[in-house]
Amino acid sequence: MSEKNPLPFAKTQSRAMLLWVLAVLIGLPLILPSATLATEILIFAMAALACNLLLGYTGLLSFGQGIFFGAGAYCAALLMIHLQLGLFTALLGAAIAGGFLALLVGALAIRRTGIYFVMLTLAFSQMAYFVAYTLSDWTGGDNGLLSVPRPEIRLGDTVLLSLADARAFYGFVAVLFLLIFIGARRVIASPFGSTLMAIRENETRASAIGYDTRHFKILVFVLSGAVTGIAGALYAMLLHFVPLSNIDLAMSENILIMTIVGGTGSLFGSLLGAGSIVLLGDFLSDLWPRWLMLLGVILILVVIFMRGGLWGGLASLFEKVCGSRKNVVIAKEEGL
Amino acid sequence: MSILLETQDLELAYGAFHAVNGVNLKVEAGTIHTIIGPNGAGKTSLFHCLTGERQATAGAIHFDGKNLMRKPAHGRVGLGMARSFQLTSLFQNLSVRENLRLAAQGRDGARALNFWRRVDSQREHLEMADQVLERLQLTARADTLAGELSHGQQRVLEVGMSICSKPKLLMLDEPTSGMGIDDIPIMTQLISDLGRDHTVLLIEHNMRIVMSISQRITVMSHGQILVVGTQVFVRVDERVRTAYLGEAA
Amino acid sequence: MLNLYLFQILNGLGLGMIYFLIAVGLTIIFGLLNFVNFAHGAFFLLGAYICYTAVSLTGNFWLALLIAPLVVAALAWVIERLLIQRIYHLPHMFQILVTLGIALIIQEASVMIWGPVGKSVAVPELLRGVLVVGDFVYHYYRLFLIVFSGLVGLGLWLLLERTRFGALVRAGSESTETVSLLGTNIFRLFSMTFALGVALAGVAGVLFAPLRGAQPFVGPEILGVAFVVVVIGGMGSFSGALVGGLLVGVVQSLMTRLWPQGASLMIYGAMAVVILIRPYGLFGRA
Repeated sequence: MSEKNPLPFAKTQSRAMLLWVLAVLIGLPLILPSATLATEILIFAMAALACNLLLGYTGLLSFGQGIFFGAGAYCAALLMIHLQLGLFTALLGAAIAGGFLALLVGALAIRRTGIYFVMLTLAFSQMAYFVAYTLSDWTGGDNGLLSVPRPEIRLGDTVLLSLADARAFYGFVAVLFLLIFIGARRVIASPFGSTLMAIRENETRASAIGYDTRHFKILVFVLSGAVTGIAGALYAMLLHFVPLSNIDLAMSENILIMTIVGGTGSLFGSLLGAGSIVLLGDFLSDLWPRWLMLLGVILILVVIFMRGGLWGGLASLFEKVCGSRKNVVIAKEEGL
Repeated sequence: MSILLETQDLELAYGAFHAVNGVNLKVEAGTIHTIIGPNGAGKTSLFHCLTGERQATAGAIHFDGKNLMRKPAHGRVGLGMARSFQLTSLFQNLSVRENLRLAAQGRDGARALNFWRRVDSQREHLEMADQVLERLQLTARADTLAGELSHGQQRVLEVGMSICSKPKLLMLDEPTSGMGIDDIPIMTQLISDLGRDHTVLLIEHNMRIVMSISQRITVMSHGQILVVGTQVFVRVDERVRTAYLGEAA
Repeated sequence: MLNLYLFQILNGLGLGMIYFLIAVGLTIIFGLLNFVNFAHGAFFLLGAYICYTAVSLTGNFWLALLIAPLVVAALAWVIERLLIQRIYHLPHMFQILVTLGIALIIQEASVMIWGPVGKSVAVPELLRGVLVVGDFVYHYYRLFLIVFSGLVGLGLWLLLERTRFGALVRAGSESTETVSLLGTNIFRLFSMTFALGVALAGVAGVLFAPLRGAQPFVGPEILGVAFVVVVIGGMGSFSGALVGGLLVGVVQSLMTRLWPQGASLMIYGAMAVVILIRPYGLFGRA
């Protein structure tokens, strides 16, 4: 990346961020017409957050996030359908599936940089799609996997909470999202996170001062893949259905779009991005079947006028209103 | 005097062209050792081999008793080697302090793979960064983004980053490159200072600096070592003159 | 049996030549402008649709073959001036995002104008019917496809190798700075190159129309194949686009007989392998 890089780079975040997230988590089901819609937003926010770890923090543009999302969905669904495994086991399985595939994809893709890296992730994404299509005995092929259950939260044989109700499921997903968000902040504020940012800024230099950048990139891929896998599993439970489209290139593109439109400068951006794209789609698709055209226009406008995404826009607005630079854009690197 | 860094018949070949053509370098511990030579002499290529940025095609490199040939660049830092770049290579969008802290953290790069511990729990890296900030006289600019420093300050930071890993050997590639007349004495003083607790291997073109601080000078030409000696010796050597000025001189 | 394979191979060559035209356009744009054009597939489908409209209005395919690429080129020129010129200096990520946006707009606009189902274009009068050699039968149109694409390719080659414009394009891919220092209006060169690259995709769309019609949602698939060809052949390489295109076309054609899903798996797998082993592709340079 060049010196005059117009990309709004992610830095560690302030404490206030957590409060904002809580506010959104509490507010979403109250404002939106359906808890299912709110849950969908959080699921994609998780995926966008995972994508941002790669993109905003490490500088890796991956078209492969759909692979991990779809794999997580299939894995969880299959574990629940065929082995009657419970909620947490299914989620764990999805995380492992996503993380493992991310290990493979990452280890190969990082052998190249720049546009070749991007093309590799694109190629792998297409390959995963066609594999899923072909293994229709497992994946249901074009039809997808149907009748995916949504298990209860149980301890041994006692049912603690049924998630059948949309609101209950939303609550569960919200808690998960919060935990993942806190975890991601922790990762960013760690030595590992600081090194990711160094790699993003200047990989040669990072290598020259003692970091084996391959290990760092692979590890962030694995973390990203695991979280994306969990998101995929939750999506399967939300819809009771795993469509083939979960693993296609368009899914990877959507996740990237949410990440970039939300703003690569912070994790909160991923929440904003997922929220706006999902809401836009939901709101417009009934009104106007050609709503994708509007999405196209938005993409262009974001790049021309608001490269920092929604987050960047809000942050500058905040700066202007509050006058101080202390707040969100130039947060302390040490994570204090 | 013990030899800290030594190469034996080191070669770096790009096809038929030998950028480094059989170099037997000896750097004594505790000295400031400068490599000079006309453009294309192979100085930077030699540096690349020593730091691991390029894999030498033949010969051996021994550092502090260890054979470096197979060690990748990031691995040599842990052994006590650090370098600065001729073309400023910093983390532009990170603060000056963070640049230095990362360099300090890099000494044991693998430990940084810990993604759960908090960065500020590693006091020693922050302390090192602050110490170096003082030494570079950049404490006031600790929170400035590296990209916003003046060129001279950036060059100083370049050198500063190489100190953070507490290296035995500092390898500085044209540290004063592009610096203004006013800034150069600061750098010269810094390097001189560093020479007291580190071994310094330096590529330089600025003869005044070379002559004022070097204890030993290696002159390279056409990928080989022409002459090694003290500045007095090198200054009057015919071969050096010829190498720089051509046969007619 | 042999006839069957010959049939498939010829189909593959035809398809391959179409891929070549699309890919060579993409590679010229990437080579000179260092620009990743994710809208390339959309211009392909636009070419097909404009051909359909031109044929509906004039009843003349040949006129359409002339007009459609020009219209596509003109549109591309405008887009380049208004939009693309602002984003050359940005990281590839933003170029991808903008061109994705353009592709979406073109795709949805096509549905709005021509409907969601797709339109068929008749094979021109002159080329209806089949060639019969012994007991081997092959459509005239498909043969025309191969020959005509070859001619376009030849014309392009001459343009790149023998004209001043071509020299500027080739020089510019090495160093845009030098070319602009030599007094060329670099912005004009960029606009023309972008328009040319996209027009080639448009031509491909027109040629493809009598075979499969004009479809609104083929953009992503075509884009994908174009990237595969460009990667395998080598980014920025004319011969790479040709050889890559033919290879992919023939492989795809043969595989459609044997194992349809395998075709896509193979070509993307080949793309991954090439990037990992020989990133500059068959003919690309560092």
